[in-house]
Amino acid sequence: MLDDEKKPLVQVKNLKMHFPIYRGILKRQVGAVKAVDGISFDVFEGETLGLVGESGCGKSTVGRCVLRLYEVTEGSIDIDGTNIATLSGAELRAKRPQMQMIFQDPQASLNPRMTVGSIISEPLDEHKNMSKDEKREKVGELMDAVGLARRFADRYPHEFSGGQRQRIGIARALALNPKFIVCDEPIAALDVSIQAQVVNLLEDLQEKFGLTYLFISHDLSMVRHLATRVAVMYLGRLVELGDSETLYMTPKHPYTQALLSAVPHPDPAQAGNIDRVILEGDVPSPANPPPGCTFSTRCPRAQPICKQDSPEWTEIGEGHFAACHFIE
Amino acid sequence: MTLKYLVAGTLGAAMLSSTAFGAAHEAQGRDGNVNIIFWQAASTMNPYLSGGTKDINAASMALEPLAHYDENGAMVATLVDEIPTVANGGVSEDLTSITWTLSEGITWSDGTPLTSADVVFTANYCMDETGGCQQLAKFGGVTSVEAIDDLTVKITFDGPKPFPYGPFVGSTTPILQAAQFANCMGTAAPTCTDQNFGPIGTGPFTVTEFRANDAISLAANPNYRVAGKPAFATVNFKGGGDAAAAGRSALETGEFDYAWNLQLAPEVLADMESAGIGTVLTSYGPLVERLMINMTNPSADLGDERSTVAHPHPFMSDMAVRQALSMAIDRPLLVEIGYGKAGKVTCNVLPSPAIYNSPNNAGCEVQDIAGANALLDAAGWEMGSDGVRAKDGVRLSILYQTSTNAVRQDFQALIKQWWAEIGIETELKNISGGVFFGGDQSSPDTFQKLFADLEMYANNFDGTDPEAYMRNWSCAEIPSPENAWLGGNMPRHCNADYDALVAEMGGTADINERARLAIAMNDMLMQSYTIIPLVHRGNVSGIANTLEGVKLNAWDAELWNIADWSRAE
Amino acid sequence: MLNFTLRRLVFTVPTLLLISFIIFLILDLAPNDPTGNLPLTIPPEVRANIRASLGLDDPMYWRYILWCQQFFVNEPLNLLNQWFGWCVGDCENRLRVTSWATRSPVVDLIAERMPQTLWVVGMSYVVGILIALPIGVISAYKQYSWFDQAGTFVAMIGFSVPTFFTGVLLIVIFSVWMPNDSVFWLPSIYDTTHKVTDWGSFVFQMRQMVMPVMVLALYNAAQISRFMRASMLDNLSQDYVRTARAKGLKEKTVLLVHVLRNSMIPVVTVIALGIPQVFGGAIITEQIFKVNGLGQLLIIGIEGADIPLVQTLTFLFAVLIVMFNLVADVLYGLLDPRIRYD
Repeated sequence: MLDDEKKPLVQVKNLKMHFPIYRGILKRQVGAVKAVDGISFDVFEGETLGLVGESGCGKSTVGRCVLRLYEVTEGSIDIDGTNIATLSGAELRAKRPQMQMIFQDPQASLNPRMTVGSIISEPLDEHKNMSKDEKREKVGELMDAVGLARRFADRYPHEFSGGQRQRIGIARALALNPKFIVCDEPIAALDVSIQAQVVNLLEDLQEKFGLTYLFISHDLSMVRHLATRVAVMYLGRLVELGDSETLYMTPKHPYTQALLSAVPHPDPAQAGNIDRVILEGDVPSPANPPPGCTFSTRCPRAQPICKQDSPEWTEIGEGHFAACHFIE
Repeated sequence: MTLKYLVAGTLGAAMLSSTAFGAAHEAQGRDGNVNIIFWQAASTMNPYLSGGTKDINAASMALEPLAHYDENGAMVATLVDEIPTVANGGVSEDLTSITWTLSEGITWSDGTPLTSADVVFTANYCMDETGGCQQLAKFGGVTSVEAIDDLTVKITFDGPKPFPYGPFVGSTTPILQAAQFANCMGTAAPTCTDQNFGPIGTGPFTVTEFRANDAISLAANPNYRVAGKPAFATVNFKGGGDAAAAGRSALETGEFDYAWNLQLAPEVLADMESAGIGTVLTSYGPLVERLMINMTNPSADLGDERSTVAHPHPFMSDMAVRQALSMAIDRPLLVEIGYGKAGKVTCNVLPSPAIYNSPNNAGCEVQDIAGANALLDAAGWEMGSDGVRAKDGVRLSILYQTSTNAVRQDFQALIKQWWAEIGIETELKNISGGVFFGGDQSSPDTFQKLFADLEMYANNFDGTDPEAYMRNWSCAEIPSPENAWLGGNMPRHCNADYDALVAEMGGTADINERARLAIAMNDMLMQSYTIIPLVHRGNVSGIANTLEGVKLNAWDAELWNIADWSRAE
Repeated sequence: MLNFTLRRLVFTVPTLLLISFIIFLILDLAPNDPTGNLPLTIPPEVRANIRASLGLDDPMYWRYILWCQQFFVNEPLNLLNQWFGWCVGDCENRLRVTSWATRSPVVDLIAERMPQTLWVVGMSYVVGILIALPIGVISAYKQYSWFDQAGTFVAMIGFSVPTFFTGVLLIVIFSVWMPNDSVFWLPSIYDTTHKVTDWGSFVFQMRQMVMPVMVLALYNAAQISRFMRASMLDNLSQDYVRTARAKGLKEKTVLLVHVLRNSMIPVVTVIALGIPQVFGGAIITEQIFKVNGLGQLLIIGIEGADIPLVQTLTFLFAVLIVMFNLVADVLYGLLDPRIRYD
């Protein structure tokens, strides 16, 4: 399935993002929330890598780290051959046009006091040396591209519907012709009827502009539809990564299996036949993850070894990785 | 050679003469500006519309009465050549009229002459029923004020007035210019803002800017009647703030030359004064903190006859006891603790004005515990085993009451201790001022009822004339259930000789004769120890060391002699 | 917006009339006597005479109507006369609202006080805002840094330590301890009669303003900087700030263009709502430094039971408060595109 000629646009190695916890009068650091704890993956040019997991597993943090919206604790992030994890302010800003993000909440992520036109054109002011008319034309083109009427350019974000706002967010992200876009749950806040429109728009744009997506979502069906490959995350770590079809048909990791078994089946008649894996207990706190395999506390197949040793990230098939002691 | 000496000699003489006479002929306004702070700001320059001390002081710089009271309470002629008396014919023999004659050549600050018409106008201005004049009481008993000629004014009263110096003596009743205030009579009085804020006067200064309740700028009056005065060209009369800030500005920062009425704790004032920039001066009016002995029996067993003349006091009626009480008190210590610079020891209940101050009672300054003990021993009061003297079953146990006030409670505690040393037991009581001085008929705790063996408070009188004040201790003034406890004779002092002196004073006009009578009355009270004076209380003001000529005055406006002020070298 | 403003303006008329009546009622019920401060030696019959001359014997409703007529009709007519020379009716003997203590028109007293109040209290408000905004911005941006902690501490001090303490402290340091010839010596008493005519007198004016302005500015800055900080923190955590960073904007642009502009919306309205207090004067600070502005005028009026003065001043304050509430609402509408009143 995987095209061998494809080269990775983004290479993430051993990424860690620990948020310190301060307590007491003197605000001493007493620990850290290990939101992302050593993950590695590649995103190939032109593909869509889906990143799925439960709420709070750290997938949004990964997205933000990959674009250096957080100062990462450890690891490297190579985008187009440059490690942006260590870039200084000015160099990083110069790199920004190549990588953009579409946010989950289209309302909150748009400055309420700026008109749509200025929101979209602001990156142009910052990074491109364009005349006023050129900018106006570019904004118009972008609005056309995302399906917004040009006359809306002078309106404020609150005057739009959720779907329209997300289109503004997308237009804004596209303004600088990026190669790589992180879509952080871009449809989670939208009505179901609108979700499909936005997803289709994203697909069209990918085709048109040759974009590479990191698509973060908890909506497994949407990811299956959109993603080339899918990575599954649990408590700050990747548990499985593989080609979309393979992963959905033959999930190897017990967590992936449990996750997929929870997806509602489109055919209610067959829904009863599915062998659902029900996970017991709550997700442990990332501030104090269990020793060994982080999934061991809830894993139906857990053995004593799981509580001691962290399983290796191993390639179990072609381009198919998983971290579990008991993968046949 | 000769010529040279001659020239040198003449030059020297000229220089000598210029220095010698220079002081007398120096120009008006040579000392620049003087800064005065009154922490209560003046709201008008017309004392007839505001009786506040601050307003009267402000006005006194521009407006003048016919005569002032000096720092000793004696009258000094201001706009007249002499004070009218019976002796010089100015006061009629029957004491029903007084005739003032203005000095010649006095002009208003606008250059027009001062005439008797101005005096007549001022009287009519205040006596107009609809004007709400605040000094109306000064014109009590006046039936007419008429101009005899341009410079002579006759004031007629409705009966004999042995002290006819109410109108136009002192800064509360200065002369207004008839021409300026002609349209301000009666109900029109409040509409004359320009006149009230900038009255034309005969005084040493004229108003250049009046900012109500804030600051007043004044400049020397070019038409002032005394050549070379005032020494200051301008006055900045600032108001606002509080006594502490005013004191600080004159005594510590040196921003102001004169700070009025510094009612501050003695140690605070002493601390400010220690900066060495200014001095605290005190002026003494007639306010005396005193003990009033109850000559009648306050025992609750007597019911309605409690504290009435029907029952003499079981032991206070013994003069030895009263005298011992007085001897045991250390007055200098009381002054130091309670009032500092704002008080002094007095042995008279009438310590001022100076001419009324009796010289006959000196000696109370020194505490004499041994003497007091000896006196009580001699009188037969024997020390009991409990440290309290007694005679014939009567113990010297006293209830001592006063109003609630930190200084008074300090005094009570000290005095109780001293009296314990002479074998007198004291029970202390303090009553809220509102009740104590309130005169409520239903309350047993008023100072008139005096349901105690003695009480302490301060009292004084208005003006300089003590006649009404001394009348307080005549038999007729004793408070009792019959007169609804009205009257000022708290000790229930009753003496036919005293009453005779009171009557004599009511018919005597000569000021020296009046003084003799007042002193005799004072001595009678002091030497019978019916009233035991403690502290003569005064007003304090802060004066910069560079300011000369200030004579603090309790009888007139404090700024009464601002024309004589000057800057020290 | 215009309709909204006009509608609100129309509603203020009955509101203010009601307020004026309530103020009058309260003042009338207060146990206060304009002759109460006179020396005890003035006898009761003279006092009764004074009260009668002030019109206190008239019934309450009649005095209220009289005040309304003087304030709402005579005073505006008088202003027309003074400003433009237009004369309507009897210009010479028109009865104006007159203070009982000074026997002069209340409006003239207020006009006389206005300059020093605006100079000192107004300047302190401006200085306070200028101090508060950067402190609030930096405190929020560097939350929990030493700067933020220091800012919090200073704001706490400024807010909780009363001005009568800070004022006297400054006086003791700069007027008492400091030698009089030092350049750092500052006058403790404000000279209201001082006129600025040249550079020297301007410097003197500045020197005498330093202490009262700083005392009040500290107090104002404490409040506003906390508002600014809170508002900045609110906005800093918003998604649009992340968007702005993702756009690759300079940090300065992110902070000043995106965060600050949005954070200023509530702060500007708070500042607008505080302006009536400027006109109200700072009663305590004015007393300490003897600035004798509107605050001191009000206090003297209250102490002396000068009812026409107190009534007029409090009513003018009520007008200012009502007006600036409206201004704040309109400003909010202008600044925040999400808010529309029509």
